[in-house]
Amino acid sequence: MAGPRALTEFKKLTLDSLQLGDEFVSDDHLVLPEDIEAHGFAVEDDHPWLAEKLAPPTLMDNQALHLRHSKYLVHAGLHARMEFSFVEPIQLGMRVRTRGKVIDNYERRGKPYMVTEYVTEDETGRVLVRGQFTQMIISEPEAAHGHGC
Amino acid sequence: MATGVETEVKTGQVLPSLAKDVSQRRIDVYSGVKPRSIHSDKAWARQKGFRTCVKLLGPGFARGGTMSMAFIKPVYAGDRLTVHGIIKDKQPDNGATRVVVEVWVENQDGEKTAVGHASGLVS
Repeated sequence: MAGPRALTEFKKLTLDSLQLGDEFVSDDHLVLPEDIEAHGFAVEDDHPWLAEKLAPPTLMDNQALHLRHSKYLVHAGLHARMEFSFVEPIQLGMRVRTRGKVIDNYERRGKPYMVTEYVTEDETGRVLVRGQFTQMIISEPEAAHGHGC
Repeated sequence: MATGVETEVKTGQVLPSLAKDVSQRRIDVYSGVKPRSIHSDKAWARQKGFRTCVKLLGPGFARGGTMSMAFIKPVYAGDRLTVHGIIKDKQPDNGATRVVVEVWVENQDGEKTAVGHASGLVS
C-alpha cells in the first residue's frame, strides 16, 4: 500500500509570492452533455454543438483560468487579456486536462498582473487548445478568504 | 475545420452585430457559483470596487480558429452587450481561407468593454 501523500500547500497569491516558471496542471475532466448545454445557455450560443457531438471551443477556458487556484489562494482577480488557438475540436466524451506555466509577471499603473501560457489536451496528450492569458492579481491578505476569478 | 460557408466574405465587410443580455443567471452558469466571487456575489464585487457582478463572453471556432481579446472595461450583470465585427483580412491557409475579423464589444452606453480579433477557416 502506498504511503500518505503530501497535501498541497496553498500560498496567498501576490506579485511577491508568485514564481515565474510555476507550473500548473488541472484535474482531468470528462466532457459531459450537461457541460455543453450549460455553456450554451451561459453565452446564449444556440449552435447545435451537442447534436454534432462537439463542444464549443471555449468550453474548457475556465479550466485554464482556474489553474492558479491549484497552487495559490486567489483572493480576487480580473482577466485582462485572453488568447486562444483552437487546434482540434473538443468532443463530447473526451477526458481533457489543462497544463499551464507562469511566463511573466509585472506591475502596470500600480496593478499587479500575471501571464500564464497553457495547453488543453486530451488523454493521449494531443493538443486541443493552446493559449495565453493575463490576469490581474487583487490582493487583500488580511480579509476573509474568498474565491475571485 | 473549414465551415464551407461564407465564401463571399470581403475585406472591410461589416458583420451583423450580435446583442446579448448579461443576466446573473448566465454568469452563474458560466463561471460556477462560489461562496465569494466577483462574478456571482454582488457584495463581494462591490468590495472589490465593481458596481455589481462581472461577466465575460467568449466566441470561438472549433478547429483552426484563433481569438485574442483584451478586456478593457468591466461588464456587469444587467448590461446589454453588442458584439461587432469587421472582416479585416483574408489569407490562404492550407487549402482554405483564413478570415480575420476585428471584434469589439460595446455595452448599452456605447462603451467598449473588449477589443481584439478572431480568425477562422472557411473553404
